[in-house]
Amino acid sequence: MSPFFFYLFAAILIFASLAVILARNPLYNVLALVVAIFSLSCLFVLLEAFFVGMILLLVYAGAVLVFFLFVVMCLNLNTVVLSSQQQTRFRWLGSFVGLMFLFSFALAAKSFIRAHAMEPSSIRGTIEVIGKILFTDYLLPFELTSFLLLIAIFGIVSLAQGALSTGKDSENL
Amino acid sequence: MLGHYLILSGIIFSLGLIGVMTSRNVLKVLLSLELLLAASNLSFVSFSKFNGDYAGQLIVFFVILVAAAEVAIGLAIIVVMYRRLSTIQADELKEMKW
Repeated sequence: MSPFFFYLFAAILIFASLAVILARNPLYNVLALVVAIFSLSCLFVLLEAFFVGMILLLVYAGAVLVFFLFVVMCLNLNTVVLSSQQQTRFRWLGSFVGLMFLFSFALAAKSFIRAHAMEPSSIRGTIEVIGKILFTDYLLPFELTSFLLLIAIFGIVSLAQGALSTGKDSENL
Repeated sequence: MLGHYLILSGIIFSLGLIGVMTSRNVLKVLLSLELLLAASNLSFVSFSKFNGDYAGQLIVFFVILVAAAEVAIGLAIIVVMYRRLSTIQADELKEMKW
């Protein structure tokens, strides 16, 4: 049962990632990334990492990508993107480097698998277990992330303020 | 089975790498960066499952938090760039100072 679902969600993930790269309309890029994150979360559930899968679905597909969508609609990109979004000079070089990376990664993974034959363990990442570890062993990093988010808020506010003070005389928005 | 997950993660990572290197649209570069993070998250969780260690899942939790901050800052920069230059093509960023 599990291999069938693995291949199903893996195929959805790969096609959605291709759509993220290849689609012309930025709205479709964002929506394809939503599909990719959803199938990634399904893969996490197949690996019995329930808490992380749900957090991925809530935070990524729920908050971050809706934020992306909001910005895409706010920028009104259709006039901008369709005029000048053609391929770059680095298209073939970039594809070549990506494929070489995939090839070397496959070689490394193959030799690793051959050296260590690993069987799936019986751990289940439920919210109880993860929460207990998060608030005992990983308490300091967990608290430090709140500082990170605070600094991010400061950065956004200062960026927005700079844009507002100069946006008035440039008549753009 | 671990090999399957690793190969899938490698495919997604290289797709994201191609996207970062070939697209001129800054928004698309940011979306491809999300693909890179998703691929590394997948390999972290699969190693966590096959090693019997919860640390991989906690790393993924922190990566999601950091990615949320990164996306917020990146989109703010894109909005400011669109207001200044009224384009979001990466080629238009020719000056370091504005």
